[in-house]
This record gives sequence, structure tokens and C-alpha cells, in this order.
Amino acid sequence: MADRRYETLVLIHPEQGEQGAKELTNRIRSLIEDQKGSIGQIQEWGLRDLAFLVAKQRRAFYVLFEYRATPAALAEVERNLRLTDPVLRFVSVRQAENAPPTPDRTVRRPEPEETTDASLDTGDAGDMESLGEEI
Amino acid sequence: MPKDRGERRGSSSKGEGRGFRRRGLGRRKVCRFCADKTMQIDYKDTRALGGFLSERGKIMPSRITGNCARHQRRLTVAIKRARTVALLPYCTSYP
Repeated sequence: MADRRYETLVLIHPEQGEQGAKELTNRIRSLIEDQKGSIGQIQEWGLRDLAFLVAKQRRAFYVLFEYRATPAALAEVERNLRLTDPVLRFVSVRQAENAPPTPDRTVRRPEPEETTDASLDTGDAGDMESLGEEI
Repeated sequence: MPKDRGERRGSSSKGEGRGFRRRGLGRRKVCRFCADKTMQIDYKDTRALGGFLSERGKIMPSRITGNCARHQRRLTVAIKRARTVALLPYCTSYP
């Protein structure tokens, strides 16, 4: 059976901690490899705020797996993810063959802009303070 | 008399039925994804998708955003995927 390009985004329970999340990531990696899948890349987004409560949690560890596998292997991986309790949720998507790999931290792209805004703000605040001192 | 009214109604509906007129004189909106081919719709890109949500977290209709049918379809799928993994909200409540 022809293998296909997939990506799976997994949400890991925050109680697992940084270490537990890493271990679980490795377990999922070996799960995919056991199914004769080949990993393209694994992105760990770390602890992120959820848009709404999931299993009464506000945050979760996000891990993105990009790999090639057969449809049967994907079904097996998904079945195992469903059985894994610390996995809150996941979504698997088939990627186009010619699609570029996900650039690192797509979702965190807004951060640099926010920091520039913050620096501008602090700059203004600094001016205000200096004015206050002069007076 | 009733016969006369019936005739009038018939003639008026005939006039309205001719062609569909766009309401208001707005600038014709162009699909953002068609205009910029490099723009990809990705469920992981919450920044881009968030712009197509209302204040309440609902998906904006293409009538407002001006997206073409094809890209609107892909956009809704992407937003729904993002919702399943809690990247985007299903609903935002007002404080």
C-alpha cells in the first residue's frame, strides 16, 4: 500500500509535566515507527493556553508530528492515541505531497510583533517618567 | 375588481424577476486568497484564521469577507479543525 504524508497534532495533559510530555512524545514516535512510518519532523510547541476548557484544563502541551505512513498505520496510531489517557485530543490531517514542511512555530508567529509593541510601550513610559523627574 | 388586482400583481412580479440586483453600491470585494497566491490556509495558523471569526467566535460569511466559494470552503474546514484541538474557540462569551 502506498504510504502518504500525514501530520498529527496531539494535546497532552498538563499534569504530565515537561518530562512526561517528552516521554509521551517519544512513545508516540515509536508507535508511528512500529507501524513502519517514517518521521519527517516533530515540533514541540510546549505548554499553550487552550481556547476553551478541555478535560477541565486551561492549558496543554502541543506536539506536532509530520510523517509518512500507510492509511492502515494511521488508523492504528489513532486507535492507540485514543487509548492513551494523557492525550486530551488530537487531529490528523493528510498533507499534500508537494506541501512544504510546517515552519517551526507557525502558531507562535505573533510573538515578535507583541514584543516590539511592548518595547514601544516601555519606551513611552520611560519618557513619561523622565518628564516627571524634570518637573 | 379582484380580476384587475390579479393582473396588476402579475405584471409587477414579472418586472422584479428580471435579473438579480446587488444591494448597495459597495466596492466589489476580491477573495484575499485568490489575490495573494502565496497565502496558505492552515488550521495551525490561528493568527490568520482568527481574522475570519466574529467577535463571538463565529465564522464570518463570505458575503462579508468577500472570499470565493472555494477558499471559503477550505477556510471553514481549517477553522473547524483548529477548534477540535482548542486552537480557536467555538464560542466566545461577553464579559
